Amino acid sequence: MIPRHFQITVALVLLAILVSGVIIIRITHKEEAMTQQAAAAAPAAPIVEGKQEHIQVLVAYDEDQALRWRPADVFLPADRSLRAREIVRYLLAQYLQTPSPHPLGKGADVKDIYFIHDDTMIVDTTAAFADGHPSGILLEEMTLASLIETVTASVPGIKRTKFLVDGKERETLAGHADLMSFYQTAAVHEMAKEFE
Amino acid sequence: MRWNKLALGLAVIVAFVCALAVSSAPREAQLTVYTAQASYSLPVIDREGRSYIPIADLLTPLGATSPRLKGKEWRVMMHKTELKLTQSNQKAVIGGHPLDLGGRVLVEDGRVLVPLDAALPLLSQLLNTTVDFHRSSRRIFVGNTFTRYVAQLNDGDRPALVLSFSQPVKPDINREENDGLLIHSDKTTLSFHKEPVVSDLTTQQFGDGAIQSLVFSEENGTASLTVTGNKSLEIIRSDDGKTITLQPVAPVASATPQTEPQAAPSADEGPRRTPEFFVMIDPSHGGNDKGASLGGKLMEKDITLRLARELRKELEERGIAARLLRDSDIDVGVERRAEITNEQHAGIYIAIHAGPPGKGVRVYAPLLVDSQQPLAGRFLPWESAQSRALNQSQTIAQAITTELRKKGLTAVSLRMAVCPLNNIIAPAIAVELTPEDEAAPLPESQKQQNTVAAAVAQGIAQVRSQMAGQP
Repeated sequence: MIPRHFQITVALVLLAILVSGVIIIRITHKEEAMTQQAAAAAPAAPIVEGKQEHIQVLVAYDEDQALRWRPADVFLPADRSLRAREIVRYLLAQYLQTPSPHPLGKGADVKDIYFIHDDTMIVDTTAAFADGHPSGILLEEMTLASLIETVTASVPGIKRTKFLVDGKERETLAGHADLMSFYQTAAVHEMAKEFE
Repeated sequence: MRWNKLALGLAVIVAFVCALAVSSAPREAQLTVYTAQASYSLPVIDREGRSYIPIADLLTPLGATSPRLKGKEWRVMMHKTELKLTQSNQKAVIGGHPLDLGGRVLVEDGRVLVPLDAALPLLSQLLNTTVDFHRSSRRIFVGNTFTRYVAQLNDGDRPALVLSFSQPVKPDINREENDGLLIHSDKTTLSFHKEPVVSDLTTQQFGDGAIQSLVFSEENGTASLTVTGNKSLEIIRSDDGKTITLQPVAPVASATPQTEPQAAPSADEGPRRTPEFFVMIDPSHGGNDKGASLGGKLMEKDITLRLARELRKELEERGIAARLLRDSDIDVGVERRAEITNEQHAGIYIAIHAGPPGKGVRVYAPLLVDSQQPLAGRFLPWESAQSRALNQSQTIAQAITTELRKKGLTAVSLRMAVCPLNNIIAPAIAVELTPEDEAAPLPESQKQQNTVAAAVAQGIAQVRSQMAGQP
C-alpha cells in the first residue's frame, strides 16, 4: 500500500512536468514566429558559400546629410550578380536596423540584380523599397548614390546602373530622384562628391 | 546690265507676291480648351463635310493615355475610366456606357479622329465636371474656368479705358490706323489666345471722343477685345496683369509729368514681337501626389504652390514674366511637366520643392547621369535634353544661392539628378525649402517663404540682365 501523501507528491511532480512542457513548447513557437517575422522584414543573411571579404561601404547619414565610407566584412560569392546582390543587401540591412543612419521603409529589399553586356547593372528592388522610401530630394539621391557607389567599388566593370521596382520601370523613387535614367558610374561618382 | 536690273525687278515682284500670299493665308482652324491649369489648342480638320479633331490632342493634355489599338478597338484610359472607339463606328463606349458621337470615328496614319461636336459629351463624361462649349468660336471651358472683365471709361483731358480682369492676362496686341482726309481712326485689338476671356456684353459705346467703343468677339479658339477711337492709344498693364489701361498717347513735348499708375511693363505690341521670355515656375506634386510630409497636416504640395505664387509675384514686380505650371491642387505627371515647359518655350524653369532633412534652402542644378550623344538634326535625347543649357543652369543656381545667403538664409548649391530637370531644354533648377521648424507657427513659415521668393527672384533678375547683355 502506497502512502497517500506519496501519491499526492508524485501527482504534483507529474503535473509540474506537464505544465513546464506546455510552457516550453509555447515559448519555442513564439521565438520561431519572431525569427520568421524578422527574416521577412530584413534582407536575408549573407549566404555562406562565399568567403568573407573586407569591403568599403558608402553609408548615408541623414542627420548631417553626408555620405561616408565605412569598412565592412561581408560574405561574398564569386558570381558578379550574387556578389552585387549581397552587397546591396548588406547596405540595406544597415539602413533597416534601429537606430538607422538613413531609415528606409519596412521590407526594403532587392529582388534581383543582373547584368546586360557585363557593364550595365540592373537592380530590381521590391515594391516596398520605393513605396516606403521617405520622400525628399536629398534623401532619395543619397540612397541611390550610396547603393551605386558601394556596389561599383567592389564589383569592377560596371559603367551604368538602372533601377527597376518590382520588375517595372518607375519615374521616380519617391517623387524626386530619377529612376528612368541609366545612371552612369562616373556621373554618380560626381554626385557622391556633392555629399562630402 | 539691263538684264541684271530686269532680274532684280522680277525678284522683288515675286517676293512681294509670296509675302502677300503668306500674309493673306487663312488661319488654320483650331479648337481651344481652357482648364484651371492650362489652355491648349488643337487642329480642326474637315472630313466628309464635317469638322473633326484628333482625340489624342484633346485628351492627352488632360491626363489621358494615348489611344492604343486592342483588337478592333482604340482604347484610352483617363482617370480610371476607359474610352473605347471603333473605326467607322458612330458609337463610343465610356466606362461601359454607349455614347453617340454624331459621326463615325476615322483613323488616319494611326491618328484617331472624332467629330468636333463629340468633344462636349466626351469631356463631360470623362472629367465628370462642368464643361461649356462655345460651338461657333470653337472654345471649350472645363470646370467653370472663365476670365471675366469689367470696362470703365475715365473721362477727362486724357480719357482712359480701364479693363479689369478677374485673372492676369497677356494679350497679343494689334493696331490698325486709318488716316482719312477729315478723321483719324485707330483700332486696337487685344487677342486672348490662352486666356478664357468671356463676356455677356458684345458692344459698349462710349460716345465720339478719343475712345469710342469696345467690342468683344470670339472666333477660331480666340477671344478679342477691339477698342476704337480717333487717337492713337497706348497700353499699360498693371496689377500683375489683371488691369489693362488704354489711353491716348501723351504729346511728346508735353511737360506734364505722367500721373498714371505705376506702370507696369507694357504689353508686347504688334506682329513684330519676338517670342516672349518667361520663367516657368513648377510647384511640385499636387492632387493625390502629396510629396513629402512635413509634420502634422503640412504637405509639400501645399508649400510648393504657396511659394510658387509668391515667386511669380516677386518676378513680375521685377518686370519678368512668369507662369505657374499648376495653379491649383491637381496632379501633373513629372514627364508631362517637362513636356509643357518645352512646348511653351520657357526661358527658365524652376521646380519648387520642400522637404527634410536639414535646415535652410537647397538649390539644385541638373546633373546629367545618362548622357547620350545628340541625335541627328534638331532632336535631343529626352534623358539629356538639358545638356546644352547645363552651364546656364549652374550659373542661375549659384546666383540664387548667393542672394539667399545675402538675406541671411542657410543656402547650399548642389548638382543632382532631380526629375525632370534633365528633360528640360531651357536652363533649369530646383529650389528646395526645408521646414524651418515643424512646430513653427504659420506666420513664421510664411515670412521665410517670402524671403526665399524674393531672393530667388533677385537671383533670376540678375542672371537675366546678364543674359540680355550678352551678344
